[in-house]
Amino acid sequence: MTFSLLIAQLINGLQTGSVYALVALGYSMVYGIIKLLNFAHGDIIMVGAYMVYYAIASFALPPIVAIVMAVAVSTLLGVFVEKVAYTPLRSAPRLSLLITAIGVSFLLENGAQLVFGADQKSMDPLITGSVMLGSVNVSYVALVTIAVSVVIMILLTLMVNKTKAGKAMRAVSEDMGAAQLMGISLNRTISMTFAIGSALAGIGSVLYLCAYTQASPTMGSMLGIKAFVAAVLGGIGSIPGAMIGGFTIGVLEALVAAAGFSMWKDAAVFLVLIIVLLFKPTGFLGRKIQEKV
Amino acid sequence: MKAFKIKTPVRYIINTVLVALLWTVLTLFISGAGLKGEYYRGILITIGINIILATSLNVVCGYLGQLPLGHAGFMAVGAYAGAIFMKSTPAAQLLRAGNNAAVIPYIIIAVIISALVAGVFGLLIGIPALRLKGDYLAIITLGFGEIIRVVITNIDSVLGFKFTYGASGLARIPKFTSLNVIFVFTAVCLFLIHVFMKSRHGRAVLSIRDNEIAAESVGINTTFYKTTAFVFSAMLAGVAGCLYAGYIGSLYPSTFKFMKSIEILVMVVLGGMGSMLGSVISAVVLTALPEVLRSFSDYRMVVYSLALVLMMLFRPKGLMGTYDFSMGNSIEKIVARIRARKKAKEAKAADEAKEAKEVKS
Amino acid sequence: MSNVLRCEHLGVVFGGLAAVSDFNIEVNENEIVGLIGPNGAGKTTVFNLLTGVYVPTSGVITLCDKDLAGMSTVARSHEGIARTFQNIRLFKDMSVIDNVMNSFNPRMHYSIAEAMLRLPRYWKEEKKARARALELLHVFNMERYAKENAGNLPYGSQRRLEIIRALATNPKLLLLDEPAAGMNPAETENLMETIGRIRDQFHIAVLLIEHDMSLVMGICEKITVLNFGQVIAQGTPEDIQKNPVVIEAYLGKKRD
Repeated sequence: MTFSLLIAQLINGLQTGSVYALVALGYSMVYGIIKLLNFAHGDIIMVGAYMVYYAIASFALPPIVAIVMAVAVSTLLGVFVEKVAYTPLRSAPRLSLLITAIGVSFLLENGAQLVFGADQKSMDPLITGSVMLGSVNVSYVALVTIAVSVVIMILLTLMVNKTKAGKAMRAVSEDMGAAQLMGISLNRTISMTFAIGSALAGIGSVLYLCAYTQASPTMGSMLGIKAFVAAVLGGIGSIPGAMIGGFTIGVLEALVAAAGFSMWKDAAVFLVLIIVLLFKPTGFLGRKIQEKV
Repeated sequence: MKAFKIKTPVRYIINTVLVALLWTVLTLFISGAGLKGEYYRGILITIGINIILATSLNVVCGYLGQLPLGHAGFMAVGAYAGAIFMKSTPAAQLLRAGNNAAVIPYIIIAVIISALVAGVFGLLIGIPALRLKGDYLAIITLGFGEIIRVVITNIDSVLGFKFTYGASGLARIPKFTSLNVIFVFTAVCLFLIHVFMKSRHGRAVLSIRDNEIAAESVGINTTFYKTTAFVFSAMLAGVAGCLYAGYIGSLYPSTFKFMKSIEILVMVVLGGMGSMLGSVISAVVLTALPEVLRSFSDYRMVVYSLALVLMMLFRPKGLMGTYDFSMGNSIEKIVARIRARKKAKEAKAADEAKEAKEVKS
Repeated sequence: MSNVLRCEHLGVVFGGLAAVSDFNIEVNENEIVGLIGPNGAGKTTVFNLLTGVYVPTSGVITLCDKDLAGMSTVARSHEGIARTFQNIRLFKDMSVIDNVMNSFNPRMHYSIAEAMLRLPRYWKEEKKARARALELLHVFNMERYAKENAGNLPYGSQRRLEIIRALATNPKLLLLDEPAAGMNPAETENLMETIGRIRDQFHIAVLLIEHDMSLVMGICEKITVLNFGQVIAQGTPEDIQKNPVVIEAYLGKKRD
């Protein structure tokens, strides 16, 4: 394989990886705060993508409005799901919460199938054009996607470390009881975490749509699972970890495809997940939690 | 008077009679239904397969207390193993010739092979996966399930010859799964789960679910029992897969997606994790209902997911909770209640007689 | 009286902090030894070290002169260590009698195949186990609860069941972690009698963590006092009650 081809594949991987990273951030934040694997997270992307599609294709709204709508709807949906399905189960056994998340995920997917139809909806790409970097042809979409993700990660890290809200989030994820005793509003902090995570998913959906220009009811599930693998790989609960994980998974997939094994792409990702969970379950940057006896 | 207790040998007789009765009822129903008989037969067979799937998943979900999301993978492995074996036997010709009796030994071997292959996979996957807990176990089993599916889809290109036929499907599998076959194997599977749980091994598994740390502190070999429950569950799923292959006649990897594992999970959760009866009822209702309400089938998955969420919110223990049905126990309770009522009546009559006497004097 | 438990220079360090250091103790057969100290002194940590939940960073633990180093919790249970927990850890969805019968598991022999085929060995061992479990429950007046779900029992009975479950493992050493927690004086009296009965009938060694001083002083033959992970006093109840170091640990230094 030539060098420029390799670079092209790497950029491809970074692009997909950026979307994974954005979604992984949402997974990581939610898991960090209420220890829930929000299976429905990936499906929020799907809803966001459909919003963009309908806004542009059916209502001919300008792209910028569509994007804002998508992010807004994603955020609202995420918070709504949290309030209706997860909050009542906050003191329930983890198994119940996990099953509910699975239920919500399926509800969204099958509901979307009923409402939007099971077929894929295509639309014109939002960003076109490319630029030559050395000998490699890099699309603007790829550059924008990667840039947006990195910027968001920096902003998020700043927010979590420097703002009061961020401090509240960190406190709640460390010790829910103690945080409450310190006067931190549990409901508000958790809702905000979901809101931010879902907003990121919304942004991710827009970027995904820019790259793949297709929306289908099940697009969120595999994307979500892979993003979750990315979150675990990077260390669940860690923001830079989600980024690293996302890029790693994206590049891994690109390399596997480039090597001619694209049918085994999914299996490769899951294999990585299994290896990580068995040998270093805390991932690259995660922390270990001890159970009290 | 001493409490009315049904002795164990009698319980076995009662249960055997009931099972034979059920078989008679079902067979008569099918033959009496005329043209629709074939249709009902298909539903009953599917119900039987789903019962085995749900109750086997219940072993790890309800009894062990874990949440594996790769059950469809074990079903797939069993299905393909059984199918490939049966295709290599003269079963197809025997069935065509109407010689059902001669096929039986092949069926038994196929089921055993499916169970063993699925069991091996269960062991390979269980050993690493069971080191993890909760969410991580869920995700890793999901991962394994998906890997199995991808491997089944693509392995022919690696092997260089047609083994599973991948996405184009493994066809022309002898259709050996009759109503009798399914009835027998379903009954056997339920029996095996029951006798396993009503033993020191079953107690150990339940104790791990209730409190793993305490179980270790009383000397329960938790690694052994977790793995055993997992492998047992996988083996039964393999049996279900084999019978499924023998019913449908062709296999496609897309049947065994993550979605299938979730469908089975829904049955277990709605029925009550830890209740075999709950899983059975759930399997029956959730298989039959879409057929009974044809227009329902479009909304099937939406209703499933909604039911799942609502059940978790309002009745997290499911329909039956951890209730395990026993005919013998139910009869004992009924007799006890009748006697108590009789005693109360007699006491009341005695009081009234006494009052009447006092009034007289 | 033969020695059952011996700890020599036992210690464990967590993240740079020594939770327990230079811990020495001896518990003999038919002895009830108390382990007391202010909250956070490291008492439950000692129990966790004894049962293999934590791996010591220094020192030796021997049970009947057998070094327990490297043995898992399960293995130690088979050797003869049983414990109860500070926060009750019963098998709540199982019946009381199943809770007890489960403890017999390591000493029952019928295989899974024998269970599934209901071979004679299954029937024989189950019958024996059931009878033994009812016997144990009878000793503690809990027979009537046999078929109840453990989670439905009143608090005091739950604590008692935890003890019965531990005894059912046929231990040489019984570790009781705050068995009187949450009990009123009447229940505590009851508990004292129970523990005494255990010592008399089962001939085992008992190591008891407790905050209730009436219980400790009333029933223990020897007491070890821990503070900040170290032993600050060891002796009879009378010695401990008069020991100024102990008083200071609990009440603080006298202000002149």
